[in-house]
Amino acid sequence: MTRVLVVDWPSCKGRGLCHELLPEAIDLDDWGYPVVTSTVSDQLLVNARKAMRACPTLALHLVSERT
Amino acid sequence: MTTTLATTPGLRVETGPALLQHVELGPSLAAHRTLHPARPAPRFSDLAAAVRSVGLSGRGGAAFPFARKLVAVSTAGGRRPVVVVNLSEGEPASSKDAALALTKPHLVLDGAVMVAGALRTRELHLVLPGEGPDVRRAVVAALAERGRDDRVRVRLHDADPVFVAGQARAVVELMSGRPNRPVTSWQSTSVSGYRGRPTLLSNAETYAQLALLMHEGPAAYRRHGTPDEPGTTLLTVHDTRGSRVAEVELGASWSEVLPDLEPQRAVLVGGYHGTWTPAAELLRLPVSRTAMDARGLSLGAGVVLVSDTCPLAHAATIAEYLAAESARRCGPCLNGLPALAVALRRVADGVGGTGEVERLSALVTGRGACAHPDGTARMVRSALTSFGDEVAVHARGGCRYRRADLGGDLS
Repeated sequence: MTRVLVVDWPSCKGRGLCHELLPEAIDLDDWGYPVVTSTVSDQLLVNARKAMRACPTLALHLVSERT
Repeated sequence: MTTTLATTPGLRVETGPALLQHVELGPSLAAHRTLHPARPAPRFSDLAAAVRSVGLSGRGGAAFPFARKLVAVSTAGGRRPVVVVNLSEGEPASSKDAALALTKPHLVLDGAVMVAGALRTRELHLVLPGEGPDVRRAVVAALAERGRDDRVRVRLHDADPVFVAGQARAVVELMSGRPNRPVTSWQSTSVSGYRGRPTLLSNAETYAQLALLMHEGPAAYRRHGTPDEPGTTLLTVHDTRGSRVAEVELGASWSEVLPDLEPQRAVLVGGYHGTWTPAAELLRLPVSRTAMDARGLSLGAGVVLVSDTCPLAHAATIAEYLAAESARRCGPCLNGLPALAVALRRVADGVGGTGEVERLSALVTGRGACAHPDGTARMVRSALTSFGDEVAVHARGGCRYRRADLGGDLS
């Protein structure tokens, strides 16, 4: 199983906190919306959870995917 | 033989070999029962087996195997399923579902009623186009003719006249009384759709194909098409002669279907989310999902749009339209599609490079609640890929299409 960050796009307002807290896995596009650049390894899990909790619209989700 | 639908100006429906046989008999229940007197009520296992045996795929555009959808709904467990017929056709270049509603509404309803019976549900929802009063009238008249014989409760919904309103999650939102726009899908609608219930949501043509299959049986259904792709498909063709809906056998050659198509023209196949190709390339292929997919061409919802102008300018105009049709809910679509349309227009005007188009196409793809950004990026990219030599001509300030006696500029 791989952990993947999924953005609930209609909820996301591009505040960018997720990138601040998890630059290893989240970039920002030209307009400040997140670009997920990698899956969430064990090392990134703590910061990924912080990023999810910090999102003002709770638009960032972590889902498990079968590889 | 051709039947012109007076209620829809400019739309012609041609009599076809299977779904559209004897269009001239009219849309009445009596005419329908003359052609299909039996009223099959198949059990789920028989219906699923028949669907599987002919490999019926969804006709809304994604060509998802219908048998898999049926099984997903029937095994979702728990609550009773819901059957939804999508007649809304958000794709402005597609008129095949409107044509079905106007000429063969009982075929569509037969299919939906059979599936509902097989799934042991009585709840049937019909999603109608918001700007299609003639379609609504035809469906309401057909339902009135059938009376209470079907043992289903029918609910009608009017979709918003916008491009993304026909997308599966947007339809479930509409049915639930919320704005008719896409939302993030965490589970397939087959498993958890309307009110969390298993929801069989398919396009009108899919139900009509299913009805024909159950009326005639798989052996008769297989008389059309090829062994690998049995049956027929509906097309909406736009060319210099106007617009028409036609039914063609799968495996027919495009040169038979479009005998007047000039090889130097550009064609958009599949709809506004489809793929651009030189006509010469299309004319070498059969009407086959497999053969076309192998060449990067998707049949989509069966739209064939023969351009009367330069494919780069035409693609830019469509990209501008699609950008404006964004539901404006997802940041990458709201911001990215207008930027992408501008970048493509700059290429068409010979003042911008393809690098920015490629970058923005990649940037928006996969980043939305629905596939609107993905489909738009696919259409835009295909214009550059299929007409790379034309891009070079434009960069030097030229255009071979305006000179080539193809009529005026679209925009």
